[in-house]
Amino acid sequence: MSAIDRIAATRRTLGAAVVARAILWASAAAAAALAAVGTIDWLVGAPRALRALVLPVAISLAIGAAAYALWRGRRVRSLPAVALWLEERVPELRYALVTALDAPSVSPALERNIAAIQWPPVIRRALGNALLPPLIVLVAAAALLFALPAGVRARISEPRAGDALLRAPIAPAAMRNRLSPLTGEVLPPSYTGEQHIIIEEPSSIEALTGGHIIVRGQGSSSGITASLANAPVAPASLRDSADQWRLDIVVPAKPAALELHDRSYARTVIIAPHADSLPVVSLTAPTRDTVVRTPKGNLALSATATDDYGLDAGWFEYIVSSGEGENFTFKSGVVHRTDAGNARTTKLAGSLNLDSLQLKPGDLVHVRAVARDRNNVTGPGIGVSETRTLRIPRASEYDSLAIEGAPPPDVDSSQLSQRMLIILAEKLQARRSKLPRAQVLTESRAIGSDQARLRQQVGEIVFARLGKEQGTEDAGSDNAPAKMTPDQLLAAANAATQASAGATDFEGDETPVVAVNRPLLEAYNAMWDASRALEMGEPGTALPPMRLALAAIQRARNAERLYLRGKAPVVIVDINKVRLAGKRDDASSSARLPRAALDSSSERRAQRFDEAMNLLATNPSAAIDSLLALRVDALESAPTLAGALAPAIDALRAGHDATSALVRARRIAAGVTLERVDSQWGGAW
Amino acid sequence: MTTFTFATAQYDSGDWDSAPLVPPNIIDTIARYTEIEVTPTGAIVPLASPDLLRYPLVYLTGHLPVRFSDAERRQLREYLDRGGMLFVDDHNHDVDGVFHRTATEEITRTIAEPKLLPNNHSLYSAFFKFPDGPPTTSHELNGWGDNLVHKNLFAVMREGRISVLYSSKDYSSEWGYHPDTKRFQSVDNTKFAVNIVVYALTA
Repeated sequence: MSAIDRIAATRRTLGAAVVARAILWASAAAAAALAAVGTIDWLVGAPRALRALVLPVAISLAIGAAAYALWRGRRVRSLPAVALWLEERVPELRYALVTALDAPSVSPALERNIAAIQWPPVIRRALGNALLPPLIVLVAAAALLFALPAGVRARISEPRAGDALLRAPIAPAAMRNRLSPLTGEVLPPSYTGEQHIIIEEPSSIEALTGGHIIVRGQGSSSGITASLANAPVAPASLRDSADQWRLDIVVPAKPAALELHDRSYARTVIIAPHADSLPVVSLTAPTRDTVVRTPKGNLALSATATDDYGLDAGWFEYIVSSGEGENFTFKSGVVHRTDAGNARTTKLAGSLNLDSLQLKPGDLVHVRAVARDRNNVTGPGIGVSETRTLRIPRASEYDSLAIEGAPPPDVDSSQLSQRMLIILAEKLQARRSKLPRAQVLTESRAIGSDQARLRQQVGEIVFARLGKEQGTEDAGSDNAPAKMTPDQLLAAANAATQASAGATDFEGDETPVVAVNRPLLEAYNAMWDASRALEMGEPGTALPPMRLALAAIQRARNAERLYLRGKAPVVIVDINKVRLAGKRDDASSSARLPRAALDSSSERRAQRFDEAMNLLATNPSAAIDSLLALRVDALESAPTLAGALAPAIDALRAGHDATSALVRARRIAAGVTLERVDSQWGGAW
Repeated sequence: MTTFTFATAQYDSGDWDSAPLVPPNIIDTIARYTEIEVTPTGAIVPLASPDLLRYPLVYLTGHLPVRFSDAERRQLREYLDRGGMLFVDDHNHDVDGVFHRTATEEITRTIAEPKLLPNNHSLYSAFFKFPDGPPTTSHELNGWGDNLVHKNLFAVMREGRISVLYSSKDYSSEWGYHPDTKRFQSVDNTKFAVNIVVYALTA
C-alpha cells in the first residue's frame, strides 16, 4: 500500500469517527435535556406546557450538537489536512507524508521510510478521546432517564391532558393529599358524537346534562367521600382503578357543587351543566294566519328546523276545532313525517289536504311544524314552530270578520294618502311667506281637491258598512244629506246594526259597528274642515284637522284588527256593598302571613361576595369555597357574574393576584353593567 | 299593602276571553269574604307583556288549543321565576280535550310538568276548609266533558309553593255568572276562589 493510500484510509477512519461523534453528541444532548426536565418534573412537577416543549427542544439540541461536531471535524475531508494531523501526532514521519502528497512520483526510499512507521495506535487513541465523552454523557443521561418513574417518562415523551396523575408522588401515602392532583374527564352522551375531554385541576367543569364526568385522583378511594349538591354520592360511584381512585357522576340538570373530602383535605369542583337545546323550528308556509272562505285543495306547508347536535325527525301537526260556545269538538293529526338523518339543519315540506279534513264554516285549523332531536338521555327535545290558524268563516261573518293577518283593509291606502297630503300642506305652509298669494291659493286648492277626493273614499267605506250603496254621499236628498254630522252618521250606524242583527244587549255601551266606524266618521268630518281651509288658501289652518283625520284613520285601522270575538261585558263590582257580606263560618283560622317582597337577588349576591372577601384574609380556602358556592348559584340566575367569578377563583387558587378579577366580579355582583359579555348560553346583555 | 287586582291572561292562540264573568265574580267573592283590598274590575294582561309582573295571581282559561309564542313563554317563565302564580282552568273540563293537552304541554315546556296536588295541601285550608280537596263542579256531575269527577288539581311546585295551579274541573263554567246572581244561591260555589287568592298572596 502506498503512502497516499494509507493517508486515504486514515481519512476514512477519521471521517467515520467525526460522524460517530456527531451522532453521539446529538443523542447525549437530547437525552440530557429529557433527563433534566424529567428530573425536575419528578421533583417539583413540570407544567404541561413546559413538558410539551421538551421533545422539540431536545431534537433541536441534538441537531445543533451534531452540526457543531461535524463543523469541528470538517477538515477531515482534506488529504493534506489528514497528513498534517498525522505528522503532528507522529514526529518520526518528518513531513514525509506531506512530501509524498506534494510529489506524486515519490522516491522508493521515502515510501519505504513511511511504510516502516505505524500510526494506528495514534488513531485509536484519538478515536477514544473523541468518542468517549459524548458516550459517557449519553449513558449517564439514559441511565437517569430510565431510573425515573415510568409515569414521568410518559409525561415527558407524550404530554397530554390528565397525565398529572401519572407523576409518582414523593410524599408518603399517609401524608398525601389524594385530592391533588385531580383530573376531570367529561364524557358527552354518545348521541352527540362529541369527543371526551380531560381537565386538569378543575375548579369547574362544564358538561352537557346527562353526560358523565369521571373525577380521578392518585391513591386508593378508601376514606374519600363526595357529595353533589349537598347530597352524598353513592359509595359505588367511588372505586379504585390501578393506582388511582375515580368517581363517576352523571351531569345534573342544574349547577351543583361537587365536594370531595379526604381526611382533613377538602376540595370543591363546580359542575356547570348546559342543556341540549331544543330544536328551533320556523314555519315558513303558511306565512300568516288567514281566512279560507273555500276550504278546498292542498295547503302548502314548509318549515326549517335546526338543532345544536342533530335532528332525528320532523313533521307537521294540525288540530281542527269545530263548534262554538261550550260545544267544541277536535280532531288532530300528523302529516309528512320526515327523517332528518342527524342533520343539524333540515327543511320540512309537505301539504295538508283541506278536502280530507271536511271543514265546515266556523272551523279553525291550527297548523304547526315539530322537530325532534336525537337526545336519548334527557330528551328527546321537541321543538315546535309558531302556530298558524286558518279560519273557515261562517256565511254571516263575511262582512264583519276581520282577523289579524288578513289583507290590509281599504283604509290603509287612505292613511298613506292622508299622510302625503299633510306633508304637502306642511311644505306649502313653510314656503308660504315667500310665495305670492295667488300661487299659495292655487297650490292650496290643489291639495284641497285631493283632500276632498280622499274624503269621498273614506265616506264610501263608511256608507258601504252602514248598508248603503257606494256614492251615497253625493247621491242627493233621496238617500242621505251631502254632509251628515258625526252624530247623525253614528245614529245611522246604530240603526243599520239594529236592523241587520237585531237587538243586542251591550250594557249601554256602543255597538261594535259604531265602535269600528266612529274613528272613520271622525276622520271624515275632520277632512271636511281641512278641505274648507285649503279651499281658502289656508294650509296652516288645515293642518290640525288633517292630522286629526290621520290619527282617526290609524285608530280605525287598529280597531279593525283587534276586534275578533266581540267585546266582553264590563262588570264593575260594588266592593263597598258586598264587603264582608258573606258568611265566613267555615273559614279557616290558620295563620297566613303576607308574602314578603322578594329580596333583590343582586343585593344578596353582593352580600355573599362581601362575606367571601372578608374571609379571604383569614381563611383563603374558605373564601374560595364561598366564591365557588356563589358561582354555582350564579350559573343559573346570573351567568355574567358566574363568568366573572371563574378567573377570580382560578387566580386565587393558583396564588396569583386576583384583584382586578375580584373588582370586576364585585361590580357585576352589585348589578353594575361593565361591558358586553357573551356567554355560551348565547346571551348578550 | 297594595290593592289586589285579579288578572286574566291574554294569549295569542285560543280563546283566552271565554269566561269574561269569572273575574268579576271572584272579585265579588274576595270582597264578600275577606278584607283584602281589591280593585272593582279585573285586568287583562297579555302573557308576553312585562306588565304580567304586576299581578301576583294570573288566571288563564280557554277552550281552544293553547300555543304560547316564544315571547309569551319567556315572559311567563320570568313571572313564575319571580314568584308569581298562574291558575289555569280547562274550560272544556275534558282531560282528552285539546285545551288540556296543549295547555299542559305548554306548561311543561315553560316550567315543568304539573303533578297531582294532594288534597291535604294547604291550599285547601288557606281560608275556607275543603277537607276533601277541590270542590266538585256541577259540570263534572252532569255528564259534560269527559264525564269524570276529577278528585285532584294539578300543580307545579317551586320551593314548596304552588307556582302553577292547573284545574280540569272547569271552574270557568262554574263561576261564569254575574256576581249579582249569588243572592239567589243557597251555597256560594266560588268560595274556593278565595283560597286560591289568599294562597297566592300569603306565605
